[in-house]
Amino acid sequence: MTRVGIIGLGHGVFGRRSDATVQELAFEAFRAAMEDAGIERDAVDASVIGSVPEYHKQRSLAGVVQEYLGLVPKPTWLTEVACASGSAAMRTAWMAIKAGVHDVVAVIGCQKMTELSTPEILALMGRVGEVQWESGFGTTFPGYYAMFAKRHMHEFGTTRDHLLDVAVKNHHYGAMNPLALFRKEITAEKAKASEDVATPFQVYDCCANADGAACVILASEDRAREISSKPVWLSGMGCASATMSVLRRPNLVGLPSAEQAAAQAYAMAGIGPADVKVADVHDCFTIAEIMAYEDLGFCERGEGGPFVAEKQSYIGGKVAVNVDGGLKAKGHPIGATGVSMTYEIAKQLRGEAGERQVPDADVGLTHNVGGIGQYCFVQVLTRD
Amino acid sequence: MDLGLEGKNAIVTGGSIGIGAAIAVTLAREGCNVAINYRRHDTEAKATVQKIEEAGRRGLAVKADVASYDDAQSMVQQVVREFGRLDIMVCNAGINWDGVIWKMTEEQWDTVIRVNLKGYFNYNKAAALVFKDQKSGKIVNISSINGMRGKFAQTNYAASKGGEIAMSKSLARELGKFNVNVNVVAPGMVMTEMAEAIPPEFLTKAMDETALGRFATSDECADLVAFLCSDRARHITGEVIKIDGGQYM
Amino acid sequence: MFKWFGKVNYTPYTKVADFARHLRDGRLMGSRCKRCGATSFPPRADCDACMHGEFEFFEVSGKGTLHTFTKIVAAPTGFEDVTPYTIGVVDLDGGGKALAWFGDSIPEQDISIGMEVQVVPRIFEELEEIKVYYSLEQPGTTWSKAEQPW
Repeated sequence: MTRVGIIGLGHGVFGRRSDATVQELAFEAFRAAMEDAGIERDAVDASVIGSVPEYHKQRSLAGVVQEYLGLVPKPTWLTEVACASGSAAMRTAWMAIKAGVHDVVAVIGCQKMTELSTPEILALMGRVGEVQWESGFGTTFPGYYAMFAKRHMHEFGTTRDHLLDVAVKNHHYGAMNPLALFRKEITAEKAKASEDVATPFQVYDCCANADGAACVILASEDRAREISSKPVWLSGMGCASATMSVLRRPNLVGLPSAEQAAAQAYAMAGIGPADVKVADVHDCFTIAEIMAYEDLGFCERGEGGPFVAEKQSYIGGKVAVNVDGGLKAKGHPIGATGVSMTYEIAKQLRGEAGERQVPDADVGLTHNVGGIGQYCFVQVLTRD
Repeated sequence: MDLGLEGKNAIVTGGSIGIGAAIAVTLAREGCNVAINYRRHDTEAKATVQKIEEAGRRGLAVKADVASYDDAQSMVQQVVREFGRLDIMVCNAGINWDGVIWKMTEEQWDTVIRVNLKGYFNYNKAAALVFKDQKSGKIVNISSINGMRGKFAQTNYAASKGGEIAMSKSLARELGKFNVNVNVVAPGMVMTEMAEAIPPEFLTKAMDETALGRFATSDECADLVAFLCSDRARHITGEVIKIDGGQYM
Repeated sequence: MFKWFGKVNYTPYTKVADFARHLRDGRLMGSRCKRCGATSFPPRADCDACMHGEFEFFEVSGKGTLHTFTKIVAAPTGFEDVTPYTIGVVDLDGGGKALAWFGDSIPEQDISIGMEVQVVPRIFEELEEIKVYYSLEQPGTTWSKAEQPW
C-alpha cells in the first residue's frame, strides 16, 4: 500500500488577526504551501478543511475557503473534532490517498476565534464537556483540566512548579518563533503572580485563543517523489476516542485516547517512544503536556513533572517537545493547531527549523487532542 | 373523607375565641396537636386548650401579641421545640376599629393594619422559615369578603384584609417549589361573639345580602380550614375561598 | 421538566427528564436497564451494556468519596453572579460518578481529595421559577432539614 508524504508546508502568523477573514488567513497558509511544493492548483485533487464552525459567523466554512482558494469544483468538506480538527483533516486526506481515491490533497487548518464577543465566547466555554450533566454546574475547559491537575498532584506529587516549568519552556521557544502569538519569555514568578482561572491554574497555565491558519499538501508516494526533493512521510497514524464525560473515564490522570492513538502510530511506524527526537504535543494547559509525556511513553506514569523539571523536554534532553512554543506560546486557533503541529515537525525533519533545530531529527511525532481527550490523533513522521 | 391530619402539629393565632377557637378544636378533632396564641382572653384560651386535650391531642396556649414580630418568632420556635415539628400555620387573629375616613385617627388606621396585616406577616414568615427547609407545610390565612369588596367605614379593616389576600398569593408563589400550600379563607358574616355586638339593623341588612338567608357558624369556617390544611387539598394554592352564603358574588 | 436541572440548562428534552422531577422531590435517581440490570449514574435511557432501550429509575444514596475538585474563578456565561465556586467529581458508593458544586456545609479549607461527601438534592430557593441541582455536603446532610434555621 502506498505511503503518504508531505510535499508542501505553509503557516500564517498566529495572533489576533483583525486584519483578515478566515478564508484570507487560509489563503496565506495555502499560498505558502503551494510555493513550497512548487505546484499549481490544477495538481491538487481535493481539499479537507479542519476548523471548528461555532466560532465563525460564516456558516459552512469549507465552501467559502474552497472558493477563495480557487479550488472549486474539487471535492471539499469540513472535519470537526474540537481542538483536533486539524489532525482529523490530516487523517481524512491520508485515508483518501491511501485508498487511492486522490493523489494530492491540500489540508488546511484554519480558525478565527476573535469574531465572537466575550459573552459569546464565555458561553461556548461552558459547553466543552458533557452538556447535559456538567454544564449546569458551570464547568469550563480550564476547570476540567484543573481537576486532572489536582488529581495528578494528589497521586504522584506533581507540584505547581512542575506545571509552570512547562509554561516557561514553551514561552522560551515561542520567543524564537516569528509565527507565534507570544514572543516573550516568562518567568515562574511572573506566572505565579497572574490571576487565578480554575485552581491550581493561573493565566499562564492556559493556552490563548488565537486566529490563524496552516496548510500541508499531502501526496501519494509516487507523486511525492515526483514533486518533492525532501518528502516527509506519515509513517504512523493513530486515532482513538474517549468518553465526552469525565464521569465515565477510567482515571483522571491521563488521556486513554492518547495512549491508544500513540500505540497505534508507533506500531504502524515500527518504532517506540525512545526513537522520537522531536514532538509537538497538545499543551492546551500545563498539565496536558505533563500527561502527554506519560501517555506517549516518553516517561513513566507520574514522572512527567520531574521530566520537564530536569529539562528532558528541551533541545538536548531525551526528546525536544513543543520547541515551536506549543499551544501555550504559539496560540491555539483550534482548527489550525493539528496542521500547525505537522508543519513544525515536518520542518524539523527537513532541517529547516533555524535556531530551534533539533539535531538529527529523523523521527518526529505530533499529538493533537480534541476537548478534554474525547479525541486524540497521533502522527509519527519520518524522512528518507 | 379522611383528611389525613392525624399527628400533624398546628398553630392557630387568635385561637382563644370565635373562629380561631373553632379552628383549633376542629383541627384537634381531626388529629392535630394545636398551639394557640391569645392576647387577653386567658380563661377562654384555657378552655380551648382543654377541648383540644379532650380530643386526645396536645394543646398549648401562648400569650403573645400578634403585632409583635419578636413574639411571633419566639412562639413558633417554642412550638417547634415542644411539639417537635410544625405542619400547619393558621393566621386568624384580627381586630376591627371602624369609622369613616374623615374621622379616622392615625392610631385607628395604624393599629388595625399592624395587628391584622403585620401580624400575618410575623407568623407567615416564621412558619415559612420552617416549611422551606422541611419541604412541606400548610398556611391558611383568614381574610374577609370585605377585603375583596370594600366596606363602608372600614377603610383600615378592608385594607388589611385585602392586603392579606395579596400577601398570601405572593407567598404561594414563593413557597410552591417547597411543597407548601398557602390559601385564604374569606368569610362573610359569621355568628361569633364579635358579631353579637353589631346593631340588629346591620345584621338584617347583611343577611338580606346572602343567598342562603343565614350566616356562617365558626364551625363551618373551621371545616373549610381543616380541608385546606389536609393532604386532600394538596393541589390548591394561591386560592381565596369565600364562605359567605352567597353574600358577595 | 429537565430544564429545571442546573443553573443553566442546555438540554431541556431528554428521555431521562423525570430525573429532574425526582430531584425536586429530594430523590437522587440512577437508571437500571430493564433487560440486563446494568445501572448508571448519571442515568441514561439506552443501556451501555446490552443496548436495550427501556430503563427504570432507582434511588441512589448519594454517598461518595471526592475524586478531584477545582475552584472556578473565570466563570462561563450564566455563572458570573456566583463566581468563584468550587466543583468536585465524586466516586459514588454503588457505582457511577457525579459532578457537583460544594455546598455550605464544607468550608473551602477542609476540601481534600479522598474525603467522604454526601450528594444532596437542592432547589435554587430565591428564583421564582423551579430550578434544581445537587450539592456536595458533609456526610449525614439531608434534603429535608430537621434542625431549625434559627
